[in-house]
Amino acid sequence: MTTQDRDDAARRQFRGILLRVMAVQVVTLLVLWLLQSRYAAS
Amino acid sequence: MHPINWIIVVAYLTYVVVDGIRRSKGTHELEGYFLASRSLPWWAVGLSVMATQLSAVTMIGTTGQGAIGGMSFIQFYFGLPLAMIILGFTLVPMLRGARVFTAYEYLERRFNAPTRSLTSFLFLCSRGLSCGVIIAAPSVVFSALFGWDLPAAVALIGIPTVLYTMLGGVQAVTWADVKQMVLIVFALCAVVLVLLVQMPVPADDALRIAGATGRLQAFDFSFSLTNTYTVWSGLIGGLFLMLSYFGTDQSQVQRYLTAKSVPEARNSLLMSAYWKIPLQALVLLVGILVFVFYLFQAPPLLFNPAHESAVRQGAGDEYAILEERFTEAWTAREGAAREIAAGGGRAATEVFQERETALAGIREEALGLANRVTGQPARDVNYIIPHFVLTFLPLGLAGLFIAAVMAAAMSSISSELNSLSTATVIDFYRRWFRPEATDAHYLRVSKVATAFWGFVACVVATYAATLGSLIEVVNRFGSFFYGSILGVFLLAMLRFSHGWAGFVGLIAGMGAVASVSILAPEISFLWHNVIGAVVVLAVGSVVSLVMPRRPDAEPSPAAVGE
Repeated sequence: MTTQDRDDAARRQFRGILLRVMAVQVVTLLVLWLLQSRYAAS
Repeated sequence: MHPINWIIVVAYLTYVVVDGIRRSKGTHELEGYFLASRSLPWWAVGLSVMATQLSAVTMIGTTGQGAIGGMSFIQFYFGLPLAMIILGFTLVPMLRGARVFTAYEYLERRFNAPTRSLTSFLFLCSRGLSCGVIIAAPSVVFSALFGWDLPAAVALIGIPTVLYTMLGGVQAVTWADVKQMVLIVFALCAVVLVLLVQMPVPADDALRIAGATGRLQAFDFSFSLTNTYTVWSGLIGGLFLMLSYFGTDQSQVQRYLTAKSVPEARNSLLMSAYWKIPLQALVLLVGILVFVFYLFQAPPLLFNPAHESAVRQGAGDEYAILEERFTEAWTAREGAAREIAAGGGRAATEVFQERETALAGIREEALGLANRVTGQPARDVNYIIPHFVLTFLPLGLAGLFIAAVMAAAMSSISSELNSLSTATVIDFYRRWFRPEATDAHYLRVSKVATAFWGFVACVVATYAATLGSLIEVVNRFGSFFYGSILGVFLLAMLRFSHGWAGFVGLIAGMGAVASVSILAPEISFLWHNVIGAVVVLAVGSVVSLVMPRRPDAEPSPAAVGE
């Protein structure tokens, strides 16, 4: 495996992890946002 | 507390110490004692990383913060997931590849010995003091709740922790952290369940009341440098703080240096990236639900039982009048809360807020009275959750929660003691005094160093508890150089940096943060990390470009550890 291949694999892995972690955070923040907007106005 | 609850607490303490001592077998080499021979699985390291960050202050202080301030504190952690990912792909492979014991050891290879010694010295000073503060926080609460002498409460938490850390090294610390983290999450979930079951109104109504009082307000998008918790300070300032804490603080770096490989070390950090914000939301939710619970269940005027009994003795008549006014105001507020639950809308919310303000005023008067009678700063926030736990949790669960608070304290203290001992032995004793001694010798010195730092932490805890401002001093002291140390590590990643760049940059960064702190004290401390890191990078880059590189210059980042 060349250095270029290794770098590409690392970049792909980074993107994959970034997407998965951010997906969990987006869901959590969305829940918090829904709680805030659903109940704050009442 | 009921004897069965005490049995649970004592059984837990005994188990942690015995298990720690059992793990001391097989720890005969320095790398085994400090780094578990780099053999631990990612999930154990990941739980240890989380347990180290989650202290007793989180269990009693942050939950109390949730009861008073609501969900807004969650913004503090918004930068954490991104920080973990960045570290996983930058500092983790760099430090793992260099096969170092401490993060600061790496700085000697990139820059010079003074840079390593200064950063390590700053770490020892700040962690030595903060370790004492971490013991002090639950000790003060326990001494007030159970009527113990403060030194006895400090000893109850400090001695078992020092014992298992000293004897078992990082193996004992990590495996104790795993059990402690499980216990903490279990206790928090159990409290939420009990709260939902015992709540006098349905969960939907409870959330409506929490929302109407602003406690579900999790996002503040205002761009203000003076508001401590906003989305932007959390995302930008929090990112730098978390990069600094998880990337350059030996108490955290040492956790992932024990992992089997770079991918396992990366995964251990990602566990926090995934779960820290949901877990923190759970912690704050406990506080918010306790707040709603006390809208329907009469709370004491003062939550701190030691202050309450002192005030009853010292100013009984005055306190009785305040209590009478408090009961009246509380009954009025309960009525307003029921109106909100019944769908009373904006008018009901306004009435509630008016009555809430009146009640808070009476509580302030009571706290002022406690302050006058006891001569101590009276703040009730740390006693709200313990009061609920000891009064309303079912038999056994209260003991479990108290054990979980101890677990949270012990898991942070043990990691810090372990890392303090590592930095002392590796960065100072082995580097400057006895470079060629045997592993057996270093192992003995490491155990003495752990005991020494444990003793220092217990002494600091005893004084920190009585000197309220010391906690603030420790936090402020830490914020002076946290961002600057991160700046040195960022500088180390730039190929052209060398020599004295790290040292000079570090001094300049700390100077800049100190200046901002003095000249513009209104700027939130989260921004200090950004300022420190940027100044170090700028000054260090200039020094690197101006000063000639030595012919025997240190290797570039890519070459380190190859």
